[in-house]
Parts: sequence; C-alpha cells; structure tokens
Amino acid sequence: MSKEHDAGMSLIVKVITRFTVGLILLYGIYIVLHGHISPGGGFAGGVIIALSFVNLMLAYGKDVALKKLPRKTISFFESTGALLFLSIALIGFFGGYFFLNFISKGEPFRLFSAGIVPFCNIAISLKVGAGLFAIFIALVLLKFDWEKKE
Amino acid sequence: MIIYLLCLMLFCCGLYCILVKRNIIKIILGIIIAEYAVNLFFILVAYRMEGRAPILSSEVEIVNMVDPLPQALVLTSIVIGLATTTLLVAIAMRIYEKYGTFDITKIKELKG
Repeated sequence: MSKEHDAGMSLIVKVITRFTVGLILLYGIYIVLHGHISPGGGFAGGVIIALSFVNLMLAYGKDVALKKLPRKTISFFESTGALLFLSIALIGFFGGYFFLNFISKGEPFRLFSAGIVPFCNIAISLKVGAGLFAIFIALVLLKFDWEKKE
Repeated sequence: MIIYLLCLMLFCCGLYCILVKRNIIKIILGIIIAEYAVNLFFILVAYRMEGRAPILSSEVEIVNMVDPLPQALVLTSIVIGLATTTLLVAIAMRIYEKYGTFDITKIKELKG
C-alpha cells in the first residue's frame, strides 16, 4: 500500500468512497445545472458538491482531500462565487435595472432557458460548495493551544 | 389544528432544552430543535388539502398547488440556520479551549 493510504478509515470505506465520490460530485453538478427547471438549485447542489469533498476527507484523511482542493483554491472559489453573482446583478444596470434578465429567455422547460438564472445558480453553488467545505475544514483542523504544545 | 399544537410542543421541547440544560452542546441542540419547529410550522401553514408541489412542468397541469412563498422563506431560513449553528459550534469550541469545560455553571471568570 502506498503512503497516502495510511491515514483515514479502513480499506472497505476507502474502496466504496473511491467509487461513489465521483457520482456524488456529478449529481451535485446536475442539481445545479437543472436548478431552473426542477427542484434544487444553487444552494442544494452546492451542499452536495461540498459533501462529496467532505466524504473524501472523512475516508482518506485531510492530506488527500486538501491535495485535491487546497485552501487557496477554496478561498478563490468562494470569492469568485460572490463576485460573479454581484457582477451578474450589476450588468443589468446597462439595460435598465438591478437583476435585469438581459439574455434571451428561450423556450420554457428546456435546459438552455431562463436567461441569467442558471448563471446565478452556478455562482451560488461555487460560493456554497467552497464555503461549506471551508467551514468543515475550519472546524475539523482547528488546533487548540494545548494541542500544539504536545 | 392538532398538528399546529404538536408543532408548538416541539418548539417547547427546544425551549426547555435551551432553558434547563447546562451543557453547551445540548443548548445548541435545543436551538436547532426550536428553529426546525418554526420551519415545520411555516410549511404546515402553507399546505392546502391535496395540494401538490408548486413546480410547473410541461406534461402535467397542476390544479391546486401548495403556497410556494413560505417554502422559499423556509429555504432561506435553513441557510441562515446552518450559518448560525456553525458560529455557535465554533464559539463552543473556543469556550472549551479557554475554560476546559462545556458546563455553563462552571464558566465564572470574566476575563475579556
């Protein structure tokens, strides 16, 4: 066994996690992209995306998960989500008002429809997914003073 | 009517937990229970008899749907609840770091 398999849970959990983590991530992306025509949306999809990384971290330990998604990347994605949402809303001022739906609406009940709503969903999912994983690693990797000394 | 009273009972369980328990973790659990009781109450108020989920789709025509406004409100409330719970847990961890206990009666020193 390689060195990265020392930390984390047992072999069974690791093998099952290796099969399911990609599916969970894909399901989150599906929920985000179909947010404007079916239940779900940016927040729910973002939570599922964050949970896939949480799953990876629980099974394989912090080193593997933080190698896949380093802390700098997390903070970059979180900031990008907020700025993207704000800029989508502000672009509407060129046409008239805040949150103006400036892209063509398309046909109802199709995937490529509803104008700016899918882009808002993607921005929210970036913010929520990165933010929730950041909350998780902040709570888990928090070191107390007396833990550092030992 | 009785389901609203059950909702109130759930809220009172959370309130009892907040007021009586001494462990900080149990107080946080009580706050979560009270919050979810309020969410459940909003969803129950919005329900109509034999109503369906308020989602339009191309194939089926929905005759009577439940009120979508409290559902959107509750979705926002869940998001805020997640953030406040995280803040409470982080504060509880800091308290444990400083005083070495979760018992609120043993936290006596007022040092900044």
